[in-house]
Order: sequence, then structure tokens, then C-alpha cells
Amino acid sequence: MSPEPAIDDLALHGELSANLVGFCRFLRQQGCGIGPGEERDALRALAAIDLKDPQAFHLALRTTLAKTPEEQTLFDDLFDHYWQIWARASELNKPQPNPERERAKTAKATQPRNTAFTSVRDWLKQGEPTEEEREAAGYSPIEVETQRDFKDFGAAELREMGRLLQTIARVLATRFSRRYRPAKKPGRLDLRRTLRANLRRGGELLDLSYRRRTRQKPKLVLLCDVSKSMDLYSRFLIQFIYAFQHAYRRIETFVFSTSLHHIAPMLKSNNIDEALDELAAHVPDWSGGTRIGTSLATFLDEHAALVDHQTVLLIVSDGWDTGDIELLADSMHALQRRSRCLIWLNPLLGSADYKPATRGMAAALPHIDLFAPVHNLQSLKDLVRYLMALRGATAVRRPPRRIVSEMGASHRDAAPPSEPTNVGPTYPTTANWLQRFGVQS
Amino acid sequence: MSATAAVQEMLAGQDYIADRHIAMAIHLAQTLKRPLLVEGPAGVGKTEIAKVMAGALDTELIRLQCYEGLDATTALYEWNYQRQLLHIRLDEKSARSTAEREADIFSEDFLLKRPLLQAITRAKPPVLLIDELDRADEEFESFLLEVLSDWQITIPEIGTIRAKEPPYVILTSNRTRELSDAVRRRCFYLWIDYPEFDKEVEIVRNKVDGIDAQLAEEICRFMAEIRLQNLEKIPGVAETLDWAKVLVALHQHHLDPEVVADTLGIVFKDQHDIAQVKESLAEFLERLGVRTKMAPTATHES
Repeated sequence: MSPEPAIDDLALHGELSANLVGFCRFLRQQGCGIGPGEERDALRALAAIDLKDPQAFHLALRTTLAKTPEEQTLFDDLFDHYWQIWARASELNKPQPNPERERAKTAKATQPRNTAFTSVRDWLKQGEPTEEEREAAGYSPIEVETQRDFKDFGAAELREMGRLLQTIARVLATRFSRRYRPAKKPGRLDLRRTLRANLRRGGELLDLSYRRRTRQKPKLVLLCDVSKSMDLYSRFLIQFIYAFQHAYRRIETFVFSTSLHHIAPMLKSNNIDEALDELAAHVPDWSGGTRIGTSLATFLDEHAALVDHQTVLLIVSDGWDTGDIELLADSMHALQRRSRCLIWLNPLLGSADYKPATRGMAAALPHIDLFAPVHNLQSLKDLVRYLMALRGATAVRRPPRRIVSEMGASHRDAAPPSEPTNVGPTYPTTANWLQRFGVQS
Repeated sequence: MSATAAVQEMLAGQDYIADRHIAMAIHLAQTLKRPLLVEGPAGVGKTEIAKVMAGALDTELIRLQCYEGLDATTALYEWNYQRQLLHIRLDEKSARSTAEREADIFSEDFLLKRPLLQAITRAKPPVLLIDELDRADEEFESFLLEVLSDWQITIPEIGTIRAKEPPYVILTSNRTRELSDAVRRRCFYLWIDYPEFDKEVEIVRNKVDGIDAQLAEEICRFMAEIRLQNLEKIPGVAETLDWAKVLVALHQHHLDPEVVADTLGIVFKDQHDIAQVKESLAEFLERLGVRTKMAPTATHES
């Protein structure tokens, strides 16, 4: 409730605008986005109401100044607060912003840092995994062959990976809009232009004009697990992240283990070593525990604006979650709903006898549109092939849900033709899927 | 009577129960001629505001439903090509110059007016409802911004059409994506949440003929409680009203667990939600104090 005397004073002394400017300045200090346009609106609004009515005064200002639900809640708090200060110090005519309110703004305190976390460099330097590490990875039987793949990563492979990622980004991120623009090649008729162009021939339509659909470039968001259990893939992952960021400008990259970090700006450097230094300076918790659920929930809280129905979300993780499984399921669900499609790349999936049975992975599976391995170049090649085929087959918004692809298995000669594993829903083989989508393989 | 009270009364005349903050937003948007951006969860009566406003002001309601890919030809205007072609054919033999003929077929007669153009060419300012703006893409948003700031539309063949009096504009959004700051800047803002218990009872009693006071209260208490649950699709006021109507049609005077279980599909539009509620329904109703049901049974038995 705003104190009566303040409003009386306002009306009586005609200092309305000066006081309002003061109030707006106060709101700005507290983080409300208020521009001169809003101030003018508020002033005009006050002219349209009964100033003697405190509630009307409050509501009129709120309607014109606070433009999101969050801002409106904040506004209600600040409104009372301000006029209390104002009443107390009314002879000064100038509000004293209370430092206590600053607390609300900086409420997001710095997160506690665990000294046990290693830096990105240490994370990369971890050589041969020890037995414990293998156990931490959840799955020890990872073929030697796969491991060799990312140890021997040289410049040539890096370039190759960049090329593959570029293709993946292109496939994922190209989408036809429903808008049109003039085109040279025959396609859809542009009646409007055609008519105009041919009017001089008495309406005989000789020269045809065409239009074509414009292309849109949706965003890609990459969320990459860099926790302890992913150590085995660290070298591959960091290169993957770096190459992806450079292959496609509109990708937003995050890494998480116990907390979430936005690292796209740190990857700008053209030199991977410099980028690594940047990363080391900013991300303290490489190789920590895994709280996928918490990290995804943080992502939803703080970066939800990055995800819209055009965004393709890529999560790279082994699904080894030590945190709140329910939170993981909920966050996955929310992410899938908000995005165009959600792709989960799991390095463990490259192993023939891997079953997505960890609690975290099982919780996440129902919300995944495409589940594919990522552990070496071959798996990326397979992914490209798969996505290309899929795109040719369907112009749908969402790629299929819940598939375990057996890509990646193809290059392993020894691997038996593995039957779909039974975890929850049935997983059709890639071939099945493609058939269902009308692709002849 | 204060201005907001007048608005509240005006809306009540259209069977719309408005809180004070809703009345204030409408009052300001109307007096200062600014678009009003209405946000809130689905089913709280955002769209309804535009309808009752049109009713109360006795003016036309022009609605533009947004969807992805909505573009100028659907929102603004399009030439009627068929008609133009026909006209050219009919005009073939005339001796008029090409320029004359061109002016002819690009005149207002051949223009298909879409909602935005309609809204600014009406003599009496209509209520323009731009529904679910969050579904349209950002390109459309910026295009809309242009129209909203100038109230004029330029058609190359005809010239600039300017609104004599700008329409009353209501924009709604379900917040499936954030609207741009520019749009928010331009508009006044109204957030509508699920109604408080008392208000919802009032709405139900107002909108559902022949409903029992007790049933109305029980329904609303049920709804208030259910909205606290972790559901896929939280039911809005629209669902409350549907349900109330059904229960009245079934001659119910209080919430009967069996009937509730049978009619859950009206309230919940998601299979998981129905299953979830069904599972804990008994416990749920008990918590709501559906002893009202127990009492008559007890007297019956005694």
C-alpha cells in the first residue's frame, strides 16, 4: 500500500513529473528496463486516473512501467518500498535507494567452488585412464580401438572433423521458411509480379516471374558434459566443441559437470591453445561430478530465451547422473518441448555392448529425438549420412523420436549385428527407421 | 465513480468479471490509445478481453490469429489476381490507354483487405485482436511494430493509407517465446493469472446458468488445488466453465467422486494428467473436504 500523504503531495504540489522521474531512476537501478518512452507513458497514464486513489496510482504505473511478469512482481515490491522511503524523506524530495535492495539484484551469489575440480588442461592431460577412472566412466569395456581414435587426433583429423561438423550444422540448421522471395529459376509463380510485368501486353502472361522460399538459419545449442565420467573422451570432446563452434557461427556452446558454463565467447580464438587458456581461466569445474539434471535446469532458467521452436539442441553426455533424476527427466521434457529437436550424442553408444540403462540415461531417453554415438570420426560420418537421409525423406519439423541408431557399429568388423537393446520402448534399427520414413537404403 | 470502476461495470455488462488491475489496463489502453499486451497462462481469458471490449464499445472485432510463417499478404492485403485477370480480359477491346487500365486494376476494388488493413480503414475504430503473437516469427513482429507505431500502410500501387482513428489493439501471448523488447516498449502490459478462488466462483456462477452455489464452490476449490499440482497442462478458466456446465447438465449438486472420475477428460487435456489425477483422486477429494457428500449419506443411513 502506498502511503496517502505522498500521493497528496504529488498532486498538490504538481511535482508529479519530477517525482516520477525519480521513481523511474530508482526502478532502473533495481534492474527494470525503463526508457524515456515508459516514463512518458506513465505520466500520461497518471493524467488519466484519479490520483487520490492509491491503488489506481499503483496499477497505472505498473501497467505502463513493468512489461513482464517478473518485472511486475519486482515492481510491486519496489513500489511500496520507494514510497515508504519517499514518505520518510519527503522534505528532501530525492529518494535514497536502500542498499539493502541491492541484495535482491545480486542474489545470485557466486557459486561455491570446489577446489578438487581440475582445470581444462589437467582434464586433457589425463593420460591412460586408471582402473578407478574406468569405473567412474561407468562402463569399462570400451574398446581399445575407439580410444586410439581420439588419442591420435592430428591436424588432418581435426580438419576432417571440422568439415563433418560443418555438414552436420548445415543439415540441422537449414530450414525452409514459409516466406518467399523473387527467384530466377522456375518454381512457384509470383502472380503479383507476373501480372505487373505483363500488363503492357494486354494481360497476356508471357514473362513469368517466380518466387522461392527463403531459407532460415535456426540456432544450434550444444550442451556438453565435461564431468569425470567423460574423461575418457576429453580430448575428443574439446576438439569437438572447438571445431563445432568454428564450423557454425550460430551455435551456443555450454559445458557442464556440476554447474553450467556458457563458453561460446571463450572459443572465439582461432588458435585452439589460446581458446583452451581462456576456458581454463573461466571454467573451474572440469571433471567434477555430474549433475545433468541441475545443469539442464539452470540452462532452462537462465538461457531459455536461446531455445525456441527452431532451435536444435545437442547434448553430449554419457548420461551418468549423480544428481536428481526426476529433475533431469523434467528438464529434458521441457527442453524437448521448447526446441525443434533434441539430439543426444553419447560416446558410450559407440561400444557394442552398451545399454542405455544408467538411471540418468533411462530418464532422459523418452525425451530424445535422436540418440546417436559420438566417439570418433566414423561416428560423425555416420551421423552425417543419417541426417542427410532423414532430411531427404521428410520435411518434418521433428526428426523421429526415440531411436537408438546402430551407426558407428558399422565400421567394427568384429561387432555382431547387435539386436536392439530393450530399455523402455523398443528401438527400431536405423534401417527400420528409414524405411518407416520412406527412404530406400 | 472512478474510471476503473466504470470500466469494470462496462465489462460486467458483457459478463466479464474483471479485477481492478485488468480494468486499469483496459482503461489506460483505451484512453491513451495504446496497444495492450496481455500475457498469462492458457485459458485465463486473454482473448476474451478483446471480445468483451468490442461488445462494450459496440464496435467491430477484427481478429488476426498468428501462426508461424504469417506474412504480410495474410496480415495486410493481397491483390485479387483472378479478378484482375478477368477485368483485363473484359477490358481488352476498350480504347483506353495502358496507364488507365493499370490504374484501374490496381485500385481499391481489387484489393483483398486482410485484418490489419481492415482495422485501419474502418470509419469507427474497431478492436483489433492480434492473438498469440508468440506463435508468429520475429520477422512478423518487427513488421507489426511498424504498423502499430504509424497506423499507416503503404501500398505501392495505391499510396499510403492512414487510419483516421487508430483501432484499439489487444495483443495476446502465451509466452512460448519471449516477445521482443521493442514490442513490449510499444505496449501497455497486463498479466493475467489464474483467478483467485472467490473470483472464479463468481465467474462460474455468472456464466453457468442454474448452478448450485455449493457445486460452484466445490468445483473452484478443486481447480485451485489442482493448479498447484505438477501437471502437463494446467486447466484454465475455460476448463472450469466447461466442467461446471457438464456437471450441471448431469444434475450434480456436489462433487461426486465417481462422476468426477468420469468427467476428468473435460478438465484435463493430457493423458498423463488424467492418470495422475485419477490415481490420487480419492485422497484429493477428501482433502478438499468433500464431506458434503458424506453428510447426506450418513443421514440417509441413520
